[in-house]
Amino acid sequence: MRKLTIDGREIEVAEGTTVIAAARALGIDIPHFCWHPELSVAANCRMCLVEVEKQPKLQPSCQLEAADGMVVHTDTPKVREARRAMMEYLLLNHPVDCPICDQAGECKLQDYYMLYDLKASRLWSEEGKVRKRKRAIFGPHVIYDAERCVMCTRCVRFCAEVVRDPVLIEVHRGDHSEIAVAPGRTLDHAYSLMTAHVCPVGALTSRDFRFQCRVWFLASTPTICPGCATGCNAFLDHHRGEAFRLRPRENPALNRSWLCDDGVLAFRLHNDHRLTAPELGRGDDARPVAWDEALAEAATLLRKVPKTQRAAVLSAEHSCEENWALAAFAREALGVERFFVTGRTAGTADDLLRHADKNPNRAGVRSMLGAEPEPLERLVDEATAGSIRGAVALGAAAATQGPAAAAGLLRLEALVSIAPRRGPLPEAAHVRLPSPSFAETAGTYVNARGQAQEFPQAMSPRGEALEVPDLLARLARRLDLGLPFRSAADVRAAVAPRLPRPAAEGGAP
Amino acid sequence: MPYVVRRPDRNLWEQSYVPETVRGLGVTLRHFFRNVFGRRDTVTLLYPEQRRPYPPRFRGLHRLTQRDDGAPRCTACLCCQTACPAECIHIVAGEYPPEHPLAHVEKYPVEFWIDELRCVSCGLCVEACPCDAIRMDTGLHPRPVEARPHLIYERNLLLSISDTAGNVHTANPRKK
Ligand code: SF4
Ligand code: SF4
Ligand code: SF4
Ligand code: FES
Repeated sequence: MRKLTIDGREIEVAEGTTVIAAARALGIDIPHFCWHPELSVAANCRMCLVEVEKQPKLQPSCQLEAADGMVVHTDTPKVREARRAMMEYLLLNHPVDCPICDQAGECKLQDYYMLYDLKASRLWSEEGKVRKRKRAIFGPHVIYDAERCVMCTRCVRFCAEVVRDPVLIEVHRGDHSEIAVAPGRTLDHAYSLMTAHVCPVGALTSRDFRFQCRVWFLASTPTICPGCATGCNAFLDHHRGEAFRLRPRENPALNRSWLCDDGVLAFRLHNDHRLTAPELGRGDDARPVAWDEALAEAATLLRKVPKTQRAAVLSAEHSCEENWALAAFAREALGVERFFVTGRTAGTADDLLRHADKNPNRAGVRSMLGAEPEPLERLVDEATAGSIRGAVALGAAAATQGPAAAAGLLRLEALVSIAPRRGPLPEAAHVRLPSPSFAETAGTYVNARGQAQEFPQAMSPRGEALEVPDLLARLARRLDLGLPFRSAADVRAAVAPRLPRPAAEGGAP
Repeated sequence: MPYVVRRPDRNLWEQSYVPETVRGLGVTLRHFFRNVFGRRDTVTLLYPEQRRPYPPRFRGLHRLTQRDDGAPRCTACLCCQTACPAECIHIVAGEYPPEHPLAHVEKYPVEFWIDELRCVSCGLCVEACPCDAIRMDTGLHPRPVEARPHLIYERNLLLSISDTAGNVHTANPRKK
């Protein structure tokens, strides 16, 4: 352990901790561009200079290891002057195109300029600036503006050290240096959007988010990425009912500071193909109706099917609360004994974050049911054979696809679908009941490691969508059947003891 | 903080009302005769034949200024939309395609709406604009219209309005 003093406050840190990290632990934010807690130290931006007693020159705090008895000052006139000088240097050739730049509002250059510089440029003319590449397409998700780049090399180090795919390199020297994609490559690894995320300025930006919304309009709600079974911690950025992006939320024990590209773009699950009103009928006969009519039709259809031929489909895409409510409704009200599970089909996995199961809550479904649900394939087989004739299904995705699966689902005489968006299951259903998206409901996911993580509601449900427990309560009333829960609080209380473990560390928002 | 409003003390003469009423009528009549037969110091103008000259900083209807090549000066930075206290500006930003002659400008307003009915003419949008792209120097008042949507002005209409001297351009002093 090392004991040092920063701005008059003592702190004890582990050996090898840098001064900037120690200051951060004290809540002192030393301005920096190139330092990132998860990346190696480059010490090239010189923004983090601090004064250390008994050392004649200013020291870069991101590189300086804490030592016993060290006395650090982070806010002296000398340090402030160094910061101002650094800002002047960094802004010398900067194009100052903030009105066009997507980073405006979350840009370290803007923030530090306001805090430490606030001077007009002393450059003699606009023409004197070094001009570089603008709008260089780096990959499917990322675009680069060399004039805005401060050459901190965070993006280079991220690719090399975290993804271990050194696709970004530094080229040229001095004023003319810039970042480039390695010859013959594009920035197309599965974490390319994290380069835009670590970029402290507007040099690397997301092509998807580009010009969609100014960041200062966005509200952020902590959430769990619904993209796969890893359950990365994230913030959902949204504005007026539209989601715009997911951003990583630090959790050293799980996703550290990262999300994969599919995760960042998983916000689309909230925006796209939404089901906003109850609907009856399949294919061309589909028509929106009022809740009363939809529920009456659902009840009539379900009544016609004998108990033994009813089934329930749980969804690995949906929260524990929604799945438990459906399981309880099916078991106690409908007398269902057969439970199946659906979800998005499996995808690519790697050893960084991505899990092959592209559903956030398969483990949760298992815990809520207290048993292993059967695969959707078997439901299709039995529907084709005629031994299951009616089902209530949660979720839009069908875990089995293809013409045979679609035909099997169409054989069902009563399929009531509860889903936030359109997809194979709702399309095959006789009655479609809209439910909230992952962003419009609070809930719990259990990830592949068995960690239960809660997330709050970010927005109110779109259109006429109803929370799943509410919707099931209304359906039960239509069927004149009793339900084992009355309110969302009942559902939460029932779910809590069934969760595998108390919430994962750092998981609670 | 509550406080007491003190009423003026009235003497008996004032309290009896009639003499004071007559005195008030006298003031009115004095002004009447002075303006009808004598010196005219009425402040009323015979609008619209007579018009008062507007101060140069009068904030009229908005206009969007053009670059020399006729493209909107606006880069859809949304600063005006952010500053507007009446929330009457709505902009949809877009990107010039790479082969477009203005591709180097990157961003432009695909849609730009101002609800002139909601506008409180505060001028904050003009102050906020970093590109001198929105101005209120047109000298115009909102016209009477038959339906409210007619006063929700759209991008091309705003671009076509000129200032009082007939200019539709502005120069960007920093760079072209
Ligand atoms: S692109 Fe961004 S992260 Fe990469 S070196 Fe430039 S400023 Fe740093
Ligand atoms: S003048 Fe004021 S109220 Fe009117 S559009 Fe501009 S900012 Fe909004
Ligand atoms: S008018 Fe000016 S402030 Fe408004 S979006 Fe355009 S450039 Fe920005
Ligand atoms: S943060 Fe220390 S030199 Fe860049």
